[in-house]
Amino acid sequence: MILLQQIVNGLMLGGILAFVAVAFTLSIGMLNFLNFTIPALFMVAGMVAWALSTAGPHLGGFGWHWLAAAAVGVGVVILASLLIERVTYRYMKARFGDATEHALPLVSSLGFLIVFEHLAMALWGGDPQRFTLPFKDTTITVGGLLFGVPHLIALVLAIVLVALLNGLLKGTQLGRALRAIAENPNAATLMGVEVQRIVPVVFVIAGVLSAFAGILYAASYGTVTPFMGEAIATDAIAGMVLGGLGNIWGAIAGGLVVGLVKVLAISTFGAEIEKIPVWGLLLLILVVRPQGLFGGSKIGKGKF
Amino acid sequence: MSGYLSGLLGLLAVNVIVAYSVFVPAAAGLLNLGAAGFVLVGAYTAGGLSSLQGLPLVLAAPAGAAMAGLVAFAVSFPILRTRGIYMVLATFAFAEVVAGVLLNIPALGGAAGLTVMQFAGLDVVVPVALGVVAFVFWLMRTRFGLAVRALHDDESVAHLFGVNLRLTQVAALTIGGAIGGLGGAMLVHQFNFIDVQSTGVLFSIYVLLYVLMGGTQTVWGPLVGALFFTLVPEGLRRLSELDPALKFLEGGRYMVFGVAVVLLMMVRPQGLVTRTMLERLTTRSAEGGAAR
Amino acid sequence: MSQTMGGPGAGDAVLRLAGVSKAFGGLQVIDDVSFEVRQGSRTALIGPNGAGKSTVFNLISGVYPIDAGRIEALGRDITRASIVERVRLGLARSFQNIRLMPHLSTVENVMLGEHHRSRALQWISSARATERARAALDEAGLGTYPGQVVADLPYGIQKRIEVVRALMAQPRILMLDEPAAGLNEVETAELRRLLERVSASGITLLVVEHDMPFVRELCDHVVVLNFGRKIFQGTPEAVHQDPAVLEAYLGQQASPAMEAHDAA
Repeated sequence: MILLQQIVNGLMLGGILAFVAVAFTLSIGMLNFLNFTIPALFMVAGMVAWALSTAGPHLGGFGWHWLAAAAVGVGVVILASLLIERVTYRYMKARFGDATEHALPLVSSLGFLIVFEHLAMALWGGDPQRFTLPFKDTTITVGGLLFGVPHLIALVLAIVLVALLNGLLKGTQLGRALRAIAENPNAATLMGVEVQRIVPVVFVIAGVLSAFAGILYAASYGTVTPFMGEAIATDAIAGMVLGGLGNIWGAIAGGLVVGLVKVLAISTFGAEIEKIPVWGLLLLILVVRPQGLFGGSKIGKGKF
Repeated sequence: MSGYLSGLLGLLAVNVIVAYSVFVPAAAGLLNLGAAGFVLVGAYTAGGLSSLQGLPLVLAAPAGAAMAGLVAFAVSFPILRTRGIYMVLATFAFAEVVAGVLLNIPALGGAAGLTVMQFAGLDVVVPVALGVVAFVFWLMRTRFGLAVRALHDDESVAHLFGVNLRLTQVAALTIGGAIGGLGGAMLVHQFNFIDVQSTGVLFSIYVLLYVLMGGTQTVWGPLVGALFFTLVPEGLRRLSELDPALKFLEGGRYMVFGVAVVLLMMVRPQGLVTRTMLERLTTRSAEGGAAR
Repeated sequence: MSQTMGGPGAGDAVLRLAGVSKAFGGLQVIDDVSFEVRQGSRTALIGPNGAGKSTVFNLISGVYPIDAGRIEALGRDITRASIVERVRLGLARSFQNIRLMPHLSTVENVMLGEHHRSRALQWISSARATERARAALDEAGLGTYPGQVVADLPYGIQKRIEVVRALMAQPRILMLDEPAAGLNEVETAELRRLLERVSASGITLLVVEHDMPFVRELCDHVVVLNFGRKIFQGTPEAVHQDPAVLEAYLGQQASPAMEAHDAA
């Protein structure tokens, strides 16, 4: 029974990881860009939502309702995503041609990560902050197993959003344009796709996914810190690799698996062991089967 | 010398060593997002030997470097089977595995970290750092250094003229790993403490960033990068202490680093020090220009 | 097809292609090409755009494997030899679009040429190798640029540096892919003088070129390709009279796909 509960807990964590993993995999699959601003945006949404609603007035807390605060958090992330696209991807593509040939966007995104983390630290300090949402501790009991409501929402939302995303990519004109860009940005331009207007969409979608995840994370675990992005980043990247780079359904599965492995490892062996199975598995996959468990989409040119 | 200044210099020395550990593979075109991995191996090996076995620093530190080099050699084969983004991820995964393993060795302190008694003052750390710098300067002037940089610029033509790609890459990673281990050994004996948490993902990110910021085209780059990373935030902090109105500088001192990275990637992605720049500087002072 | 075998200064054939064919995808880029290059000769490989000249170079130097036929060089069958083995045997080449290491200096680029022959001690100190590279550059009239980063140098200079790099490999056959392309008159004359000295020292030259006056002044033997086939082999003087050659240059248009492969 305990095992079953642990499995449920793992899947719950995995639901949140899945969100971020999808954001990562979308950036890599569409733009050949390992986007390290995603964990930063995850954190920004969570912290902004906390600040506007719960923080003390000197820290920007206006005592807003958490939904409004969350909405503003998402809004801030969207703006940030557009800024990031402009500065890391578009600028460099204009200046250096195929930006994906260089590590530039990656490095630039790392720079942004540092900026956001320290901005948050400067504004709100480095300590973890309690962020209690009304339904944080609400649970549903099904067959003797406890399901946290925020976690459930995260999981369901992740699946729904990815289904929508999938539909968008396969069925709409925007989706076709996105896939054309993923295949070959230059050819896409030649075919009349307005790359410059569409690439920001990818950034915004990834940003929104990260923002949702951040808020759901805060709702599930009740704490936010400027460094909450880091922990999630490593696990989400693991999920992305497991699922195959560029494979958005794979990312969900990968996120779930990572959540599962983490929780099970912690409950069986203790908290310290959890890195080894996750990352050892990952290293193995990268070397032996880089397309992940489920096969990823083809990425750019492979050369960095 | 004041305690503050000597602490800063010690930190600078360690940062310089770690910078070169990332530089050597980067010069061969291999981006390492897992520098912390080698630093941890070296730090825990040296720290463990000196505190648990009572080994003197002069033996423990090289042991740390050797262990890290060994690990780098072993891990280079699987890592070199990956390319591009996958390789970056593989180095990242490697560092996490190292952290994970170390967390589970109770004799080394586990999550609480390892405390060591022996202290390596400036009289140790600075010469070691200078030694590393001199070594890498010399290394890049040898045929090996030529092979490394040829590989970076054009793999197929390098291969055509006889550069053994795999061997050169493995060597670059191994040497980089050993240097990283040495840096870790210095680190743990400078601060008398090491733990996985503080030398983790963010550490690896910082190192990679300031090495790339300095520039990987020349051997001067990592030095410049380490100087910038160590001194600028400190400088900003001192500045902020001068005037209460400048308080924001303290909170923002690493932000400045982040912004600098973003701007640099936009306007000068090859880093602060480039070969062309070096040539112009040396041609003005020497006759005819030096072949570097 | 007219064929003239052998040339002035006839020695043994140092390079022989026999029935060589190569297809990319469904496209037959090289079709049953056979010719010989004699020791000490200066042979030009010419033909309209898309004829397959650069592809022949790539096949000889080992960049691509051949589909059919045989390649022999310096007494050995090199059909299946690796690229490095061919370099070690004595085949060195330059490239149509310059392939120097952009971030390395002139001397360093040239030093790479003899990398495959470097002895153990050279790995520790490259001082002597640096001297040799400088000397080679001086001889080629490029002595004023030793330390400069090649990416900063003008195109014409870079082209000649590539030739010197190939020479550092101490080849017995030097293959140059459009060495005069993009050079002005002065540079072209300097290149020709350099190549004459190289040839006088006993190295066989095989040159892909479009610059016909250059070919006429330098070369003593010409092989003409068109659409991947050899249509003529003989002296530069005879080339102008050959009806097949005239038709190839003046009459037909090369297919764009072949041009793409030719330029690869």
